[in-house]
Amino acid sequence: MNIFTREMKANRKPLILWGISIVAMISGGMGKFAAYTNSGESINDMLDILPKSLLNVYGISSFDLSTAIGFYGVLFLYLILIATVYAVMLGANIIAKEEKDKTTEFLFVKPVSRSKVITSKLFAVLLNIIILNIVTFIASFVIVNHFNVGNAILTDMIMLIMGMFITQLIFMCIGALVASVSKNPKAATSTAIGILLITFMISMLINMNDKLENLKYITPFKYFGAESIISGKGMDLVFITLSMVIIAISLAGTYRFYNKRDLRV
Amino acid sequence: MNVIETNNLTKSYGKSRGIVDISFSVKEGEIFGFIGPNGSGKSTTIRILLSLIYPTSGSANIFGKDVVAYGSEIKKEIGYLPSEVFYYANMKVIELLKYSASFYKKDCSKRINYLAEIMHLDLNKKIDDLSFGNKKKVGIVQGLLHEPKLIILDEPTSGLDPLMQQKFFDLLKEENKKGATILFSSHILSEVQKLCDRVAIIKEGKIIKLENISALKENNYKRFRIETLSKIDKNHFNIMGVNKLEIKENRVKFIFKGNINIIIKKISFIEISNIWIDEPDLEEIFMHHYSKEA
Repeated sequence: MNIFTREMKANRKPLILWGISIVAMISGGMGKFAAYTNSGESINDMLDILPKSLLNVYGISSFDLSTAIGFYGVLFLYLILIATVYAVMLGANIIAKEEKDKTTEFLFVKPVSRSKVITSKLFAVLLNIIILNIVTFIASFVIVNHFNVGNAILTDMIMLIMGMFITQLIFMCIGALVASVSKNPKAATSTAIGILLITFMISMLINMNDKLENLKYITPFKYFGAESIISGKGMDLVFITLSMVIIAISLAGTYRFYNKRDLRV
Repeated sequence: MNVIETNNLTKSYGKSRGIVDISFSVKEGEIFGFIGPNGSGKSTTIRILLSLIYPTSGSANIFGKDVVAYGSEIKKEIGYLPSEVFYYANMKVIELLKYSASFYKKDCSKRINYLAEIMHLDLNKKIDDLSFGNKKKVGIVQGLLHEPKLIILDEPTSGLDPLMQQKFFDLLKEENKKGATILFSSHILSEVQKLCDRVAIIKEGKIIKLENISALKENNYKRFRIETLSKIDKNHFNIMGVNKLEIKENRVKFIFKGNINIIIKKISFIEISNIWIDEPDLEEIFMHHYSKEA
């Protein structure tokens, strides 16, 4: 419990900052929606001028931008990027931070096993992510609902956030795995973020090119795509299962590698 | 009963040197010195004992239990002071100490106050604002607050002024009297001589000698530097116990091992203008005394 409490305290400030940025991003983004609708022109007409492939890159083409939830769907692609960066950093820092700050010789000479340290920290990080998701959900719902006309958005919203949550869990565990394998704590976080950005890029490439459709299994950003959720297809059981498998393997690897290797002092 | 026991402990780091076949044991209630130049493998050995790193081969037991298999159990009774102390950012001294105490299932608050008072440590300061020496004091309190049965110290005196060093040594002697076993690593011979009962001398990853401190005390090494008023006879200092004698003009330099009175008398025969007597560093002693035996 002491490690958990300590970890929550250490992560409090960053959590508040990330929370504020996310709320700012949602309100800023949806503010644009208000500006477009008030201008009288249909956004969809405006976008028709632009080349389809460009819209694909940004994942815009499959949304009905004249509705609040459709507009939010585009915003959500970037929201999830930010939220997962937060998760992957927290995940990697579970292990890398003690080594980076050289507090290893403090913590690991205490009567506590490495597994217990990881478990306590994982729970703390999990709680941080849950809090950030609650904030995101409330901010999203309140703001989108404000601009919404007539659509039922609650179910979509819950599913979007659930999808975001699972994607975050995947990256949190991948982050922890990378840091547990990595011998260089300074490189661990950037490597984990690198992996995240590469998978994000792949998801954009898939948007651009239908032939790459099958690559969707290797990028978690495609598991719970906003377009399929908002268009009513919901979440795919295949991807939920796949997510659980990735999480389980990453966690098992994290414990295994971290218990076996020399700590960096 | 042996509190620490290592059997052919070996750690190799690729090409760079680690430790090779380190075997020694520390008896209960003993103050055991671990002495060697920087980079000789003292910290590596200690980190294996604390299972921060794992041995490539060989094994180590503490309280009769394997350090790898029973690491977290053993550590209930170990207090450790690393050579360089690093703590979490934005924490007050008292917060850090309480966090440290929370790992042991006993109330340590009285003990924290007691130790802080002896070491003149302000508990309400932020750790980030402390000087190197004061951070070291935090480390000392932190390592002793749960009254461990085994105290492991890695170069503990760096950064402490002589007065604090003395208080710290008194504290250690007090713990030792109460029954604590101490493993004390250092590269400064005189502090090991002051405190320890037995020493292991380690060089280039190997233990080259296990010795009782009484034997080392006989070998009292001093480095002399003398400036004389006039040129002196080249053979004046050519006596037993003088090593690495260098005479340049009116400057004389040598390392002396043996009865201090003899050399002082010898010096009194000549007119000197200045004199420095200090501890030779370990490297010098090793180079001379132990290189043949190793």
